[in-house]
Amino acid sequence: MVRHFGIFKRFQQWIGLSIGLILFTFLINCQQDVAWADDSLNGLNSLYTDEQPALSGNGQFIAYVSNRNGTRSLLLFDLKSQEFVDLPRLNRPDAIAENPGVSNTARYIVYVASDRGRADIELYDRVTEQVQVLTAGYRGWVRHPSISPNGRYITFETGSNGQWDIEVIDRGTRVELDVL
Amino acid sequence: MKPAAVRSVLAILVLAIALSALLIGCSGPHYLSFPFDPNGRSLNSPYAELSPKAASRHLVFVSDRAGSQDVYVYDLIGRQLLDLPELNSLDMTVADPDISEDGRYIVFAGNRQGESNIYLYDRQLYQLRSLTNALKAEVRNPSISADGSTIAFESNAQGQWDILIYTRAGDPLDIPMNPR
Repeated sequence: MVRHFGIFKRFQQWIGLSIGLILFTFLINCQQDVAWADDSLNGLNSLYTDEQPALSGNGQFIAYVSNRNGTRSLLLFDLKSQEFVDLPRLNRPDAIAENPGVSNTARYIVYVASDRGRADIELYDRVTEQVQVLTAGYRGWVRHPSISPNGRYITFETGSNGQWDIEVIDRGTRVELDVL
Repeated sequence: MKPAAVRSVLAILVLAIALSALLIGCSGPHYLSFPFDPNGRSLNSPYAELSPKAASRHLVFVSDRAGSQDVYVYDLIGRQLLDLPELNSLDMTVADPDISEDGRYIVFAGNRQGESNIYLYDRQLYQLRSLTNALKAEVRNPSISADGSTIAFESNAQGQWDILIYTRAGDPLDIPMNPR
């Protein structure tokens, strides 16, 4: 009996160890589950709406609009490194940015924003991290902007003539062109 | 006043005028104006012009000026519409075109008999083909990179709008989709 108990005691260590191991693997699995759920927000697509894609010059960057994280925001994704690029000061908590268009290296991003009670075409420069309102004081509704690959021309739809027409802005010769 | 002083004041004045003229001449942002043609041979017409996308000298857009919604390409330098043989057909509605920087490739979302596909048109070969025949889902909003290599668009195959990326040959790029 005493001898028997000794065997059990010797095995007790192993039982404890294996239970510990099993619990540990459960724990790791749980953690992987959590990471897996986070992955769905770190990739290009999510379970929410991801739409209005615009590709950069060689297809490395893609700007689009996503409803993930409980906000509707304009995102820039690097398809080469598979990660998001920060766009400081572009998305604001009190406005919606939509319909992005990008230049060659996605230095310039044009989009429609509605932070002044009406839609405006805005231009974001990733180098200076500044937003420029292009249609301040423009008469008529504006939507669907796009920018030429070198960043010099910007087009958008205008409703100022009573039907949808096309407007072209030449940003002039003094802008820094976005060349690959 | 001494004649020399008058002369120097005049010289400074002339220089200032010349400088300001130079600055205005190659100056900052301004709207480009293109002839308006009621018969639809120019950029804007009395009908709708939608979804403009500007590459270097080509501006692609959609218009219903001919009685159906068709794709047009306007040459910003030659100031004329370009011929697009075999592109527009009577049984297809087109939307959201985009064009590569060299003006050779045009992508758009076309709907024929209730089926939506992303179409690629080669302006050199006058060839139109669908990239998404194998995709049983609604597709929309295509974007082509300026070099013409990559095409991104939206699809609702997963139950929400996601972004798919294809090569010009029609092969899907490996995008990690969200886990279910």
